[in-house]
Amino acid sequence: MWAIAKKEFKQYFLSPIGYVYIGIFLLTCSLFFYLDIFSYQSTQFARMFGSASTVLTFIIPILTMRMFAEERKNGTEVLLLTSPRSVTQIVLGKFIAGALVVLVSTLATFIYYFILQFFGAPQFASSLIAIIGFSLLALAYVSFGMFASSLTENQVIAAIISIGFFLLSWFLPNIVTSLSDYSLMYAFYDSFYAGTIGISNLVLLLSFTAMFIIFTIMVIQRRKNVK
Amino acid sequence: MIEVKSITKKYGSFVAVDNINFEVNDNEIVGFLGPNGAGKSTTMNMITGYIEPSKGKIIVNGYDISKSPLKAKRQIGYMPESVPLYNDLTVNEFVSYMANLKGVKRKNVKQEVDKVLSDTGLTNVKHKLIKNISRGYKQRVSLAGALVGNPQILILDEPTVGLDPKQITEIRDLIKKLGKNHTVILSSHILSEVSQICEKVIIINHGKIVAVDTPQNLENKTQNDNTIMVTVEDKNDKMKTVSKKLKNATSIKFIKQFSDGSSQYLISAKADTDIRKEVFNVFAKEDITVLELKKSENTLEDAFLKIIDDKDSNLESSENAKKKAKAERKKELDKMDKDERKLAIKEDKKKAKEEKKLEIDKKWEEEQEIERFEKEKKQQLKETKKEIKNSKKSKKTDEDKSSTGKSSKNTSSKKSEKGGKK
Repeated sequence: MWAIAKKEFKQYFLSPIGYVYIGIFLLTCSLFFYLDIFSYQSTQFARMFGSASTVLTFIIPILTMRMFAEERKNGTEVLLLTSPRSVTQIVLGKFIAGALVVLVSTLATFIYYFILQFFGAPQFASSLIAIIGFSLLALAYVSFGMFASSLTENQVIAAIISIGFFLLSWFLPNIVTSLSDYSLMYAFYDSFYAGTIGISNLVLLLSFTAMFIIFTIMVIQRRKNVK
Repeated sequence: MIEVKSITKKYGSFVAVDNINFEVNDNEIVGFLGPNGAGKSTTMNMITGYIEPSKGKIIVNGYDISKSPLKAKRQIGYMPESVPLYNDLTVNEFVSYMANLKGVKRKNVKQEVDKVLSDTGLTNVKHKLIKNISRGYKQRVSLAGALVGNPQILILDEPTVGLDPKQITEIRDLIKKLGKNHTVILSSHILSEVSQICEKVIIINHGKIVAVDTPQNLENKTQNDNTIMVTVEDKNDKMKTVSKKLKNATSIKFIKQFSDGSSQYLISAKADTDIRKEVFNVFAKEDITVLELKKSENTLEDAFLKIIDDKDSNLESSENAKKKAKAERKKELDKMDKDERKLAIKEDKKKAKEEKKLEIDKKWEEEQEIERFEKEKKQQLKETKKEIKNSKKSKKTDEDKSSTGKSSKNTSSKKSEKGGKK
């Protein structure tokens, strides 16, 4: 599992994908830092993530689209599937690598916290909760993006599936209000964004992540029989 | 040791591999032959656990590939046909990654990788990106990926495609060397390669095994006629009449005319006679100049083509027979009047149904038989295990009884016994 995670993590930075993700993410973060915090002269660090979470919709798929789609297209999945590693290990290895990139770039946003601290007195606990919540949201997105990537051998289609799904989970609750309890974005806004940890929201984010990791494992396992 | 037991792979209604059975013993090099689309790669993919067979069992060194895949896959190094590689890694990184995937211990990885790289002649391109090296090198990187971790069984799908002649001989020598303490299955289009390297050849066509034998035997089997090839200069045009003077020749066949006026003939003779002497003498008398005279030998190529053709024509002829029967029946039907035709058609349908039923019953019975056989085998295994246990117990009690004095010696001997069993 770690062998796969290590190689995948390295591969993010051998291709431009890792740099593109981190670059766009930090760029938009600084933009929102200026727009949401600096121009309002606020010290609420969490406000930055309110806007940044919408950007995840478009940049997480960049990170996840190649996970399985590329392997399938190049035929390198043979190497993985004939190695003495179980499908679970393969999927988890890939997930961990993607999650690491996301977490590292999220942790880098602490820079803005220190800037804020220089000028005022932001509340540390609520800032930390916001970052944790944001990371959980990003991980949930990664797990869905990975699932989308396992469905097809075309990276573009994988990206479109995940962007489509994220957009739906973002806007659909506006139309069908009963769905708002199940929206990832809302789970983040409802509690973490406000500096509290809601158990139901925490469970939603974690179980969503776990569910799509398991779905990915099932998809890969099943393809053995269909192929 | 690889045991392949009645493997079938279906894609929808298309049967890619049809009920294949074979065994590969330890330290044996086996060649897989067959025309394109015969099911070679599919079979290899199933042995390596990449795809699941629709039916049947594959046992690799005692581990069932579907039931304990990790243990079975640990025994296998696989080099796929399409040479899949990660293009943005360097050669060294790729082979190290494969070593890590196969669970080589961390401290041994570097040493192992270096050894494999030097074996496959990749040391000088070690730090190049895989996307920048040539096709031949890529082929070798793929082979290195299969070799790393020193697996007991190597499965190589067309390992020498795309290599230059020097590399081909190098790789062949490498495979031969590996075959001394590895089990190797390799598929190839190049028959001379197979006859050089392999001790056993499995020929597949249309998803079925058509022949399993040594290359020599296959060559001998197809050598049924005794023919020689002559190239002659025939100025007086006497070749047409010379056949009467050759007593042992059964036929003389013209093959081709060369631009310098000489022509080539194929002379068949009765079995077990060597007519080369006779041909030479008679031709000399008739003033025909013999430029070249040789016995035409059957190669593995001939054997391969013959076996494949035979099966193909068999299939075709059976299909043709079916078609003919249908056409005849139609003619018969056309002769009858309306009511009779209706009845006849009904009867035909009934017959077809019954035949189908019989077929299904037969299949079912066969499956039942296989199941019964396996059950019996399991039972036997259980019994033998029980016996072993019992014998151990009785031994133990005996030892306990006899060994109150020499207890220390006994324990040490027991330990060594256990060690030996492991």
